[in-house]
This record gives sequence, C-alpha cells and structure tokens, in this order.
Amino acid sequence: MTATTLKRFAFWLQAAGALIFLALPKLGLGAYWLDVLNMVGMYAILALSLNIILGHAGMFHMGHAAFFAVGAYTTAILNTRLKWPVFAAMPFAGIAAGLFAIAVAAPIIHLRGDYLLMVTIGIVEIVRIALVNDIFGLTGGSNGIIGIARPVLFGFRITRPQHFFYLIWGFAALSMLLFYWLEHSRYGRALKYIKEDTVAAEGMGINTDRYKLSALVVGAVWAGFVGAVYASQMRTISPGSFNFWESVIMFMIVILGGSGNQKGVLLGAFLVVGLPELFRDLQSARMLVFGAALVMMMIFRPQGLIPPKPRNYTLPESLAGKYP
Amino acid sequence: MIILSLKTLVKSFGGLVAVAGVSFDVERGDIVGLIGPNGAGKTTVFNLITGAQRPDGGDIFFAGHRIDRLKPHRIVKLGLARTFQTIRLFPRMSVLENVLSGCHCRMTSGIVSSLLRLPHQRREEKVALTRAMEELEFVGLAGSWRAMAGGLPYGDQRRLEIARALATEPKFMVLDEPAGGMNDQETRGLRGLIDRIRKRDITIMLIEHDIGFVMKVCNKLVVIENGAIIAEGPPEVIQKDPKVIEAYLGVGD
Ligand SMILES: Nc1ncnc2c1ncn2[C@@H]1O[C@H](COP(=O)(O)OP(=O)(O)O)[C@@H](O)[C@H]1O
Ligand SMILES: [Mg+2]
Repeated sequence: MTATTLKRFAFWLQAAGALIFLALPKLGLGAYWLDVLNMVGMYAILALSLNIILGHAGMFHMGHAAFFAVGAYTTAILNTRLKWPVFAAMPFAGIAAGLFAIAVAAPIIHLRGDYLLMVTIGIVEIVRIALVNDIFGLTGGSNGIIGIARPVLFGFRITRPQHFFYLIWGFAALSMLLFYWLEHSRYGRALKYIKEDTVAAEGMGINTDRYKLSALVVGAVWAGFVGAVYASQMRTISPGSFNFWESVIMFMIVILGGSGNQKGVLLGAFLVVGLPELFRDLQSARMLVFGAALVMMMIFRPQGLIPPKPRNYTLPESLAGKYP
Repeated sequence: MIILSLKTLVKSFGGLVAVAGVSFDVERGDIVGLIGPNGAGKTTVFNLITGAQRPDGGDIFFAGHRIDRLKPHRIVKLGLARTFQTIRLFPRMSVLENVLSGCHCRMTSGIVSSLLRLPHQRREEKVALTRAMEELEFVGLAGSWRAMAGGLPYGDQRRLEIARALATEPKFMVLDEPAGGMNDQETRGLRGLIDRIRKRDITIMLIEHDIGFVMKVCNKLVVIENGAIIAEGPPEVIQKDPKVIEAYLGVGD
C-alpha cells in the first residue's frame, strides 16, 4: 500500500516537475538560460541515442560526434545548395548518418571493448579532417557552411530561443518514449543479452553482430536528426563543433548518469552540460572537475548516478494468478 | 534416421590437437553420452557442433544442412540448442528474462515495430511470455520467475539453462555436464527431466562424468581420449570394453 502511494507520489512529482520545466519560457526565463537549456536538451537527445549503443548494447563507442556532424552537414548542404526546408532535409540527415555508420562500422563491429573505442575515436578525427579539407567541395573547409535557414513547422518559423526550447524538448520527450518502447521489446532485450554475455547471447540464437551494427545505426540516425536541429539553430556550422571533445561529453553523460537508464542519462546531460554554466568563472577548471568527477564515479559508483533497474514483467492474466 | 553426423572433425589450439579426426552419427530420438577423461576434447566437440568454434577440418551435417561454417545463431535457428559446462546464464536478469532469450530466435519483431510498439509486436511479446512460462513450468522453476538468475542455487541454474535452451524450440540439445554440481536428489530429478525432454521428440547428446548417470540415461555412448574415439556403442557393451576400462573407468578410481 505505502509502496504504491509512494510510487504514485513520485510519478506526480515528476509530472509536476516536467510541467514547470515546460512553463519556464513563459515564466520569464531569459534568452541566455533558454539557450543553455536548449544545449542541454540537444546533448540529452544525443546521449539518449548513444545510450542505446553504449548503455544497452555495451559497446564502447566514442565517435558519436561523427554521426552528429554528418547529420548537421547533410542538412546544411541540402538547405543552402538545394534550398530544401530544414524539416524536409532532416530525414535525409538521419539516413545519411545511418548509411555512414554502416559503411564505417560494418568491418569493425565485432571488435570488442578497447579496440572498438580506439577505432571509433579515429572515425571522429577522420570526419573532422575530411570536413576541414572541404570534401567533395561541399563542406566549406574550416569556415564551414553559413546561412542555414530556420526551420518552419506548419507555417510557423522557429527563430527564438523559446521556440527552439519547445522543438528540442518535444523532440527529447518523443525520443524518450520511442527509446523506452525499444528498450522494452525483443530488440532491446537482445542488446541487453549482448551486453551481459555476448557468447551466451549468440548461443541462444541472437545474431550478435547484426544487432550491434543495427544499434549503432539507430543511434547514428538519431544523432543525424539532432544534427539537423543543431544546424538550423546555429545557422552556421564548422568542423570545430564536431571534434573529439564533443564525443567525450556524450560518452561522459551516459557513463556518469547511468548507462542504460534514461533518467540517469537526462540527469547526466544537466550535470555535464548545464552545471558548468552555473560556474562560468571556473570555465578553465572544467576539464579538471570532469576528470576528477569521472575518477570518483569509477571508484564509488561505477554503475552511474542512476543505474538501470532489472526489468519488471507483467504476466498475461491467465498466468498472473497462478504465479504471483 | 540420422539427425547429426560428424565426419573426421579436427580442431587444434596452437600445437595441441584437441579433436583428432572424430566421426560419429546420432540417430533421431537417441540419448547419446559423450564420455572420456578430463581434457579429452569433449567440450571442444560440442563447441564445434554448436558453431562456437570452427573446425580446422571435417564436416558436420545437421538435419540435412551442413553447419560447420555457420555462426552459432544460425545453428540455433536450425534447431540445435546447447547448455554450457560453466553455467552461462545472464546472472543480473530475472529467471523469466533468461528464458525469453531463448524465445528470441522464434520471434520476428524488428526495430521499427519495437520503436513504435506496433500491435504485432505486443501480441508477439505476450505469446513469448506464455512460452517462456511453459518452459519454466516444464523444468519446475515457474514459481521463481521473478528471481535474479545469478541468485538461484546451482542446481536450479542448470535447470534454468535447460529451460532457456528449450525455449529455442530445438530438435536436438547438447548438454555439457548437466549434473555438474548437483546433489543426488537434483541428479535424480535431472534424469526425469531428460526423459521428459526425449518424449518431446528432442534428441539429446550430453557430456557427463558420473558414469552411473550416463549408464542409466543414455542408449548410446561415445568414448573419446586425447581427441580420438576409442569406443562407441550401447552402455552395456562399453562397460565391458577393456580399452575403456583402462583409459577411463580405471583411471577414475
Ligand atoms: N580455447 C582453447 N584454447 C586452447 N586450448 C584449449 C581451448 N579449449 C580447450 N583447450 C584444450 O583442449 C583440450 C580439450 O579440452 P576440452 O574439450 O575442454 O576437454 P573436456 O571437455 O573433454 O574436458 C584440453 O587440453 C584443453 O586444455
Ligand atoms: Mg569439458
């Protein structure tokens, strides 16, 4: 009885928190802080998509910024050269990032742990260098691409920080819902089996290589979508925005918050991206603080701040009575 | 009818020849015991059959397919399931979720139907839950469906591995030391369980050190030593074979 009341209370508390959060732009929060929250939201979606790869499938992938970059550049090119609206370009940003993931990852997907980590780090650098060298004459070299249009949704032009706030956090909420469903399915289970014991998973009939690759592709497609939003919010993108450090931040959000748990990842995004804004004077000490925090986490809470709980199943009614 | 056929299988690790030209056939409905001293190459033979390792030479045919170049998941799909000598459950998942891993290969929902929780996906999930519970009932673990697999007593973990393998709907099961670590009562229960599995028209091959167990359960034995077969036949015959007594039964004492 008390456990259910407590659960219900926690649910309403979270719902109220979410409502207040959504009302923030109306409550007079300034443009600067809205921009910070927008940044947090974008990293949150990126980290949620990385969470599928790193948190669920357990693959040490530190190259997520590469997929983010492919999405952002695809959008920028389609928009500035072919005048495609941002939302028309967005699906193609995802597809391009997904195809890129297949191309680079298919040969390396069977690598484990530390090897995969090194190769994925390499991918980010290769993408960044390709962008700097104005690959295909389309990326504008180190200056990048300027003059990307604002997104238009049902005739409404999204320009101000509060508009982006609703776009980004709406996207984050949708991502959380879809990824929750994905996690609680045959597909999500397969990834968890692979993380727990790849040999046993393969031995139970799971095509482990294909699942690893497809997890990477799902994550990449989503990072590509975020890239589209980012490009249209910034209006200017350049290779500097997609360096290795961005990948590290996404990786850190997932590990610090709680690999495999959406709430943990969300908390991680606020801590890693939002918190430093509260201490702007200490900007130069940021890396030091992050480093120290990660070391402490590894020692005291290696599962992250909010680790995932084992999944609860509800049996079909015919069985639920028999086996409480 | 021959369901599994091994033809001159060879596997070496560096300089060590673990399996040196093993050939034998398994008839559908058999319960075959693969016995031999420690390090004889029994587990390696199982790893070759299940695709966990690739043979250096020889062929394996299962139910009309050549399987020695296939990945383990393909072999499971063809109807050949296994348990591991060193228990390999998913220890931090529930008993039920462990068995659901076996249901995976008979399900079809992919990324899109899972992301969007389509009706087909939800129906299939319900069917899988029911299937998994059936197998747990079959091995006698349904009451523990919520428990963490890693926290179960040793004997229950072995039975859970069997339930998980059964959930793949196999025609053929290979069990690597299923009685390992079980007490007498659990071992007797296991004999009954193996009998009930055979009644489901599932052919069984098992490795076991407990000679008394093997003699009672199996209708055919294959004895290997140093990676080569030294005898094969019904238990009564094997029991009297001088080579076997010298190489295996004698050493055991
Ligand atoms: N992966 C491996 N790498 C190297 N040597 C191995 C490997 N697997 C088994 N062996 C060796 O092969 C021989 C047979 O082992 P195994 O098949 O496990 O024997 P059994 O199951 O009959 O006790 C042993 O000498 C063992 O040390
Ligand atoms: Mg063995």
